[in-house]
Amino acid sequence: MITAKENHTQALQKVNSGRKTRLKNNVIGWSFVIIAAVMIFLFYFYPMVQALILSFQTGVGANLTFTGIDNYTRLFKDPTFLTTVKNTVIYLIIQVPVMILLALFLSVLLNNKTLKFKGFFRTAIFLPCVTSLVAYSVIFKYLFGQDGIINMMLMKISLISEPIQWLTDPFWAKIAIIIAITWRWTGYNMIFYLSALQNVDESIYEAARIDGASPIQQFFKITIPMLKPIILFTSITSTIGTLQLFDEVMNITKGGPGNATMTISQYIYNLSFKYTPDFGYAATVSYAIVIMIVIFSIIQFKAAGDNNE
Amino acid sequence: MKKVLALFLVSILMLTACSSGSNKDTSDKGKDTKEVTVWAWDPNFNIKAMNLAKEAYKSENPDVNIKVIEHAQDDIIQKLNTSLSSGTTKGLPNIVLIEDYRAQSFLKAYPDMFHELTSSFKAADFAQYKIAPTSLDGKNYGLPFDTGVTGLYVRTDYLEKAGYKVADLQNMDWNKYIEVGKKVKEATGKSMLTQDPKDLGLIRMMIQTSGSWYLKNDGVTPDIAGNAALKDAFQTYKAILDADLVKPVSDWGQFVAGFNSGDVATVPTGNWITPSIKAEASQAGKWAVLPMPKQSGIANSVNASNLGGSSWYVLNIDGKEKAADFLGKTFGSNADFYQTLNKEMGAIGTYKPASEGEAYKAADDFFGGQKVVSDFAAWTEKIPQVNYGMHTYAIEDILAVSMQDYLKGKDLDKVLEDAQKQAEEQIK
Repeated sequence: MITAKENHTQALQKVNSGRKTRLKNNVIGWSFVIIAAVMIFLFYFYPMVQALILSFQTGVGANLTFTGIDNYTRLFKDPTFLTTVKNTVIYLIIQVPVMILLALFLSVLLNNKTLKFKGFFRTAIFLPCVTSLVAYSVIFKYLFGQDGIINMMLMKISLISEPIQWLTDPFWAKIAIIIAITWRWTGYNMIFYLSALQNVDESIYEAARIDGASPIQQFFKITIPMLKPIILFTSITSTIGTLQLFDEVMNITKGGPGNATMTISQYIYNLSFKYTPDFGYAATVSYAIVIMIVIFSIIQFKAAGDNNE
Repeated sequence: MKKVLALFLVSILMLTACSSGSNKDTSDKGKDTKEVTVWAWDPNFNIKAMNLAKEAYKSENPDVNIKVIEHAQDDIIQKLNTSLSSGTTKGLPNIVLIEDYRAQSFLKAYPDMFHELTSSFKAADFAQYKIAPTSLDGKNYGLPFDTGVTGLYVRTDYLEKAGYKVADLQNMDWNKYIEVGKKVKEATGKSMLTQDPKDLGLIRMMIQTSGSWYLKNDGVTPDIAGNAALKDAFQTYKAILDADLVKPVSDWGQFVAGFNSGDVATVPTGNWITPSIKAEASQAGKWAVLPMPKQSGIANSVNASNLGGSSWYVLNIDGKEKAADFLGKTFGSNADFYQTLNKEMGAIGTYKPASEGEAYKAADDFFGGQKVVSDFAAWTEKIPQVNYGMHTYAIEDILAVSMQDYLKGKDLDKVLEDAQKQAEEQIK
């Protein structure tokens, strides 16, 4: 009995001291996390909540009053907003798949064991991502200008007889923007695929080759399934990036001609800073982007993620 | 859990301590010095003018330190909007330059944030068309600065090749302009003007010659459908494009390159383009400035208009009296200072007594000996006064779309009706 009791107290002490060290560890752990957590709360979640509240208000500048869901119903009647959504979706459904395929293709090429000057090619393709958004946009504006080098080249090789109005025609302006963002972001996505490819076991390909699989079969039957999580990740980040597209359009076409290239983000900017400031409605448009991102991400998860879980 | 909570509270305390500490620093600095800060854009024009004003003021008031800071116009607008809407004036300047088209939206959006200047200068001494955009409810808030009075800069050598003399083309209307343009194109192969499809400056200039604007005189009701001047301007714009007189550009650099390289025969724009035109010294003597063409179909249209132009505003913060005094004694009442401005940088103010001065009467050899400044000063007084109201750029973006629709063949009345509806929906 006595020994049992002693055992019991000893065990209790052990548990107690264990609890203490665990608590101590917890406190140390939390103190590391807490600063970041507080910062994120203060500068991320608090403004988000404030923006949500703001989106139910309307008025000019500082004179805001609550109007309920008026701003949200206005969204659906606002032709400019609907045009910007249409433009953004066009960029999205054309540019993102083109870019992802291109990035995949390039990364498989660059992963080739026999390729010479690998480092040079990788750097060259990744380099656009290092350039500033504004700087490259300005350069693209000049490349695509009426007398720009692109028109000159096309005319010199007699593909076209008169200059394409890259920046002042509604159709070509969209194409110019899509080319610009593809140039800027393909290398960025390629790096993800490249690193994922290096984690794919070479023996899988070896086995496939022994079984007589052609390179194309290897690509579709091995590479793509192995990269599926990364493809999902890059397509979601690209989707979010495209929905928030701003710098390129602002600098290359300013949204023109008319509003043929204007994006949702640029409309938010215009509502807040170009026109008489209506921060309430601008916040509503921002939340429209949030909702769209959530919807698109869910769709992509559902489309690609079914056998990952 | 208690410890976690305590830590949480401590870190919050630290954060607030940090922020309040830095606040104290800045407010102390503001009180100690007699510093007046100014924000403006364009180092060749506004900043230069402000620096000249600083020199002029310094001789009499050496103890006031005026600090001129250059920001891009877009940055100034953003900074003002974000600071004023959050209700803080920390870090804002005493004096700020605001474009006339935007002035009303600032004055109405942030009441009490601007210092009234009614007693700092005599409004009657300034060109009347500048007073409406710079005042609110009968009180003056902005001190009028540069005029955006427009002229039609023409290449006399191209016109002569097409068989025209400058003297024949005074006070023409846009129909005549198109007729001249066709001849010039035939004779020289040059386009008549450059246009940026995103920028409806030409439309704005056209309708102001008729005393009309995007908004009715109250400054809030859109005046688009049934606006005869606007309809005429749209038709003229299309006629100019259809006659193939336009070289399209997509930004300011290409616009300037257009006339500097000799690609276009005319530049219809504000007088502030003069320094850029003169920048191409090899074209000296080949230019002249004509009065702005008027609208053909509109009875009360005159050969004078305005494009751009801005005014100085004083923010309602510490140091406002000093700032107002500085503005009043330089831009507000000093005719000699305006002569210096004109001699040093070719700037034309809107201060009427200044036009009596010598500098304004000088002939300019670049423009073949034309007395350009006095011509502009005379046209300035003819500019019809319109209320730019609060929504110039919002409506312009709507109209830029309408213009594309119209050019693609949509019926003009329908186009303008749709634009009216959209504008009414947007600017409540």
